[in-house]
Amino acid sequence: MLVMALILGATLVANAQSRTITGTVLDASFGDPVPGATVLIKGTTRGVATDLDGKFTLDIQSGDQILVVSFVGYLTQEVEIGNQSTITISLEEDIQSLEEAVVIGYGSQDKKEITSAVVGVKPEDFNRGNVSNPAQLLQGKVAGLSITRPGGNPNAGFNIRLRGLSTFGANSSPLIVLDGVIGASLENVDPNDIQSIDVLKDGSAAAIYGARGSSGVILITTTKKGSKDGRAEVSINSFGTLDKAVNLIPVLSAEEFIARGGTDFGSETDWRKELIRDAYSHTTNASVSGGFNNTNYMASVNYRNNNGIVKGSSNERLNTRINLSQGALDNKLRFNVNLSFSTVEANSVNDAAFRYATIYNPTAPIFENTEDANQRFGGYFQRDLFDFFNPVALINQQKFLNEIKTALTSYRVEYDILPALTLSAQYSEDRRNELIGGFWSRQDFQVGFGARGSAERITNDRMQRIFESTLRYEVDLFDGLNLALLGGVGTQTTKNQGFGARSRQFLFDTGWDNLGAGALRIGNFTNMYSYANQDQLNSVFGRANFNYNNFLFFSASVRAETYSGFGPENQTGVFPAFSVGSDFTQIFDMGVFSQFKPRVSYGVTGNLPPSPTLALGVFGNGNRIDLDGDPLSTDDIYVGIVQNSNPNRFLKWETKKEFNAGVDFGIWDNKVTGSMDYYTRNISDLLFNVPVGGGPNIFDPGRFNTVGSTWVNLADLRNAGFEFAASVNGLNLGEVVWTPTGNFTIYQRTQIQSLSASGLGFDELRFATPGSPGQNNNPIIYNRVGETLGDIYGPRLLGISEGGEYILSTTNPDEFERLGNGLPKGEFGFANSFAWRQFTLNFFLRGVWGHDLYNSYRGFYENADGASVTWNSVNTEKTPNNPAVTSTPTFNSSYVENASFVRLDNMELGYNFKTNSPNIGSFRVYFAAQNLFTITNYTGIDPEARVTDAENGDGFTTALSPGIERRNTYFQTRSFTLGLTLNFK
Amino acid sequence: MFKSIRKTFLLIPATLMLGSCWELDQEVLDGITQEEVNNSNNPVLIDVLKASAYSRIVGSWGGHNSIWSIYEVSSDEMAIPQKGADWEDGGLWLRAHRHTWQPSDEAFNNSWAYCYTAIGEINNLIVAYRDVQALTAELRVLRALVYSWLIDSFGNVPIVTEDDLDGNPTNNSRQEVFDFIEQSILENVDLLPKSDTKSTLNYYSAHAILAKLYLNAEVYTGTARWADAEAAADVVISGPYSLSSNFFSNFATRNGGSTENILTLPYDENNAGGFNLVQMTLHYSSQATYNLQEQPWNGYASLEEFYNTFDDNDVRKNSFLVGPQFAADGTRLRDISAEADDPDGEPLTFTPEINELAPNAFRQAGARVGKFEFAFGAASSLSNDYPLFRLADMYLTKGEAAFRQGKTDVALAAVNMVRERAGMPAFTSLTLEEIYDERGREMFAEASRRTDQIRFGTWNDPWWEKGASEPFRALFPIPLQQINANPNLTQNPGY
Repeated sequence: MLVMALILGATLVANAQSRTITGTVLDASFGDPVPGATVLIKGTTRGVATDLDGKFTLDIQSGDQILVVSFVGYLTQEVEIGNQSTITISLEEDIQSLEEAVVIGYGSQDKKEITSAVVGVKPEDFNRGNVSNPAQLLQGKVAGLSITRPGGNPNAGFNIRLRGLSTFGANSSPLIVLDGVIGASLENVDPNDIQSIDVLKDGSAAAIYGARGSSGVILITTTKKGSKDGRAEVSINSFGTLDKAVNLIPVLSAEEFIARGGTDFGSETDWRKELIRDAYSHTTNASVSGGFNNTNYMASVNYRNNNGIVKGSSNERLNTRINLSQGALDNKLRFNVNLSFSTVEANSVNDAAFRYATIYNPTAPIFENTEDANQRFGGYFQRDLFDFFNPVALINQQKFLNEIKTALTSYRVEYDILPALTLSAQYSEDRRNELIGGFWSRQDFQVGFGARGSAERITNDRMQRIFESTLRYEVDLFDGLNLALLGGVGTQTTKNQGFGARSRQFLFDTGWDNLGAGALRIGNFTNMYSYANQDQLNSVFGRANFNYNNFLFFSASVRAETYSGFGPENQTGVFPAFSVGSDFTQIFDMGVFSQFKPRVSYGVTGNLPPSPTLALGVFGNGNRIDLDGDPLSTDDIYVGIVQNSNPNRFLKWETKKEFNAGVDFGIWDNKVTGSMDYYTRNISDLLFNVPVGGGPNIFDPGRFNTVGSTWVNLADLRNAGFEFAASVNGLNLGEVVWTPTGNFTIYQRTQIQSLSASGLGFDELRFATPGSPGQNNNPIIYNRVGETLGDIYGPRLLGISEGGEYILSTTNPDEFERLGNGLPKGEFGFANSFAWRQFTLNFFLRGVWGHDLYNSYRGFYENADGASVTWNSVNTEKTPNNPAVTSTPTFNSSYVENASFVRLDNMELGYNFKTNSPNIGSFRVYFAAQNLFTITNYTGIDPEARVTDAENGDGFTTALSPGIERRNTYFQTRSFTLGLTLNFK
Repeated sequence: MFKSIRKTFLLIPATLMLGSCWELDQEVLDGITQEEVNNSNNPVLIDVLKASAYSRIVGSWGGHNSIWSIYEVSSDEMAIPQKGADWEDGGLWLRAHRHTWQPSDEAFNNSWAYCYTAIGEINNLIVAYRDVQALTAELRVLRALVYSWLIDSFGNVPIVTEDDLDGNPTNNSRQEVFDFIEQSILENVDLLPKSDTKSTLNYYSAHAILAKLYLNAEVYTGTARWADAEAAADVVISGPYSLSSNFFSNFATRNGGSTENILTLPYDENNAGGFNLVQMTLHYSSQATYNLQEQPWNGYASLEEFYNTFDDNDVRKNSFLVGPQFAADGTRLRDISAEADDPDGEPLTFTPEINELAPNAFRQAGARVGKFEFAFGAASSLSNDYPLFRLADMYLTKGEAAFRQGKTDVALAAVNMVRERAGMPAFTSLTLEEIYDERGREMFAEASRRTDQIRFGTWNDPWWEKGASEPFRALFPIPLQQINANPNLTQNPGY
């Protein structure tokens, strides 16, 4: 619209004077025309915009001396007119501004103006190679952002934690905001389509997302690249990957097993070899993008077929995306449509197979040719010993399929009411549908045999709709003081629904395709249910950013939210934040420093309850009740109703108050850049399902507790940390250019300051038992007030007697000692990129230190006790062999291992072919390897920190039991990738 | 300019907000709200709600780590021997048997929560239907039944009635709890039906609660109430019950028609799960004997000493599974991983002798609990109704109460009713110890032994692998979790 006015103005005054000049505006690096650039006569309002070919024509009056040529993303250039009648102007890209725009939620800011802890990561800094999930792009790249996936399961998600723990439960991963869509899933976006990822680390940055921001926020922007001249850019990236299993826990050979007294079945089988394969996977993605006038488009399709190293596990995925933007009314009105779809087919196996493959009797054959085995078990060798299932049979006779379809569609309209006042509205629908199949063959010894064949079908459907509207205004209040204002409202509704059915006793193994063939539909191994819930969240928010002469920056924001799932006594949460910073180099001479910007911030964020009906007294299904007790009369049978949760009318959001102090610095003209941050977090009112006494429900006056626990806002936690990140921009070592970047984080582990709420108080909460066999009722994680969260407690192993018996410090759980903690003390990432002629070499080291892991395999299977005649034994470097332990396995200090490690996460060698073809922009071939080596003293499967424990509790206490490596952990992988990238222009 | 902008800035969000309401009501889609219950005019609703309250006590009674578990394993009739790697479970069950348990042990909290969540449900119903007299009367007696377990196990527990709506409750003395139970029943018993309802309370089953309360009155309050116990038992005996000629028909899979069972927990593998004895006691390989749907856990077994209190001619000795074990097709079961030093070797044989409680009890050692029928093809949840009160128990209650009043003839008659049904010759004379042993044989695996041992003074004695225990162990500790959750609670003495 500015351009329009300028053109108009120019036309009006055109007859005033003398001559006309023509010119062309070109991109300095590529020589492409720059359409839409503004050409202005300095000191006037007269000017024009360049056309599609970058050309302009301008009438010059006497006294006009200088043209000012500007365009977004380029350095503004001034050109003396002199006597010229045709002028060619080459605009240099403003690399700084292109790279340094940081997305902060509802807009972006120049990096120099940022006063809170926000880190932007661009594609050139992403991890490379075999990347199947956007989380992998960031692994180790951002100080304080921990991304883990222990084991190499292609179907497993990544645990993402920002600055350690911020909540106990389900919402412990940062909030994902994908192109403005709050709460989107990482599975909605393909790694190849990402233009930038920005991480809002501290409370003040995340506070604009209010009651969903406590775990931090990751903002993902998909690519909008595309030239303006109508030309299409096509990019193809294809790679193949070979995954191999590594670091299998050593077990006894068949001979050793027999020698130790194990039952000899007369054969010899390496069970893990039977389960594991070299897994070949491939990925191809193609995108086309372009633009003309005010239209811009990008379309991509990505296909990945990832096979797991365990036979029967695979993940096949197709991601499709179309981003389209169109301007109207001289680009004052802008429409933007982003459509993304994905389909996934995930095959998985019973993860107990990993355990059985490790400890199944090595003298047993896979098959035995007896009539009994053929008839009952499909020929597989099976014995009715305790907890003893042929792992090969297990992965072949049980099947699990998960088909997921997602569709994320968002529509956005923006209108510039005034040049600096923009109204925008965005509506999005985020759908996820999951169709699950489960099957247990009639001959599957573990489940199907007793059930005589069983199958199930489950579908889960999630739909989230968000409508948000914002108004942005930017103004220079007076000289040097720039003010940017944002105000907005939003509403979000989420609906989850689904149903499932399971039947049993099949004549044939028809599986889940015909549940009706199962004769029994009630009772054990059967199911029929449906569920639905929905909630709504309303928000109002505002933010003000001040910039005084690029020297002093101040930002303040507030968001108020009501959520239908809050208790009626606590309807609205308010989440304020502010931050301030100052770049001292703007007024002082700081020597080598080109930037030195100390900043402090404070922000309050929240976390929502895990289910929307916890504040209400909802009756659920009880037993089936036959009122007259006579099964022949069925007209009096009902499902009883019971209150399955104690309502809490006071239920509210969790609150996290975070203080952050940091410095952004640049040295030697920003050759070296970096930042440091120190933060403290005080988390209170954590949402938690705690044991309550029998008696009146103090959270719902007038009623009584009907279950043994209530969801309440409980506990105060405190943690802190220090983060450091720095990068050096292209060090020239002869012909080699070296770009190192590194970061580290030091965590102060979470302190439990209290476990109390109104009228309820706990000194400690114990969680996580090692499990069956024989270690079912002994929690090993004690969360004690005044101590660190997730402390591992148990007896200390004082020694081993001559007879191989444990000598333990105590057997009394109340006298157990603190043996360790599963949360890391620190992490680092160190990336190096070398360029030499056409070659590039990247390698990336990542380390985590100070965390412990309970090695479950050792904890159950290294002793030469009575059970070792049944199960094979693990025999690690830490397994005592002289004498071997003859006691039955009991949790003790010897199984808690320091799991600090350094890993060569990723290494990539690439070659860029020179090309003179007019059609080929670039052509690159690369070879990459992941997990080439790991240096650690840990003897389990994977020393990666375990921040949660899925086997513990109700899914909302998992964060209270870190540091346990379970026996069902998928084997670790090492992968080798060969790929090519081809860009057509 | 700035001012006018600010107005717009405020105006537009406000306008947009009008479309949606700021305060939000939570909709419930897959559950029933209290309002819907209150507004329902479905005539069967009250019956369903009442039955739902009963289903609370069906719940986890008969599962592992339940009130039944801790009652049985802490007595001298049952234990869970540790089989090497299996069943150590943090020493919980070894401590239970050796009387060295701790307040943090899980089973206590499970028992407590089992009782008090039922009380909560009952109180909520009474509050909602105060004016439906027949219902509230029955619910108050049901609550008294739950308190009869609480007074026996934990003793000094808080009394929470429908009127105790405020704050965290405090402990009541055992005497107060005793009075509350007695009063609840006496005030309401006449409002209960005098019909033979087995899964809901009636006039007779309410008296059965009283009979057991009075029988243990001396333990609970220091004051014996033998005559009252005998009188209450007499009321039950006068009811529509008779001893089943077949002792085991009372524990059969389809035992709903038992003439002897007075009040049962109506377990059903499909509709009311939670009775898992089949999993808890049988050997892993026993799956093939009964064609079970799931592999059993090889846990609960009886003690040899207790097994030997049964005469070989006593039909009740079949309450144990001992001897060689066979698959359904008659082939001998083998435990190929039997311990090398197990004298029985591979062929699976349940021996009454258990070589040790821990750590290496032989996998096949120990007589198993066979009193309840295990249906062929059973699921992990059994369908046998579990008898909370049974006529034989009432005869023995009457006999003991009479004997303790010096009425030996009455006692002999009552005890012999039970004894003769078991195929044993009648007693001609009687001692307290004989009554105690008779109760043991009759009531095995019915969660009676602990209470009997305390009443007969053998609870703190040493037996097998248990040493003498201190008197305070006659009460279970108030669970640590409950003391944490309620600062007003006081721990029982000694803990």
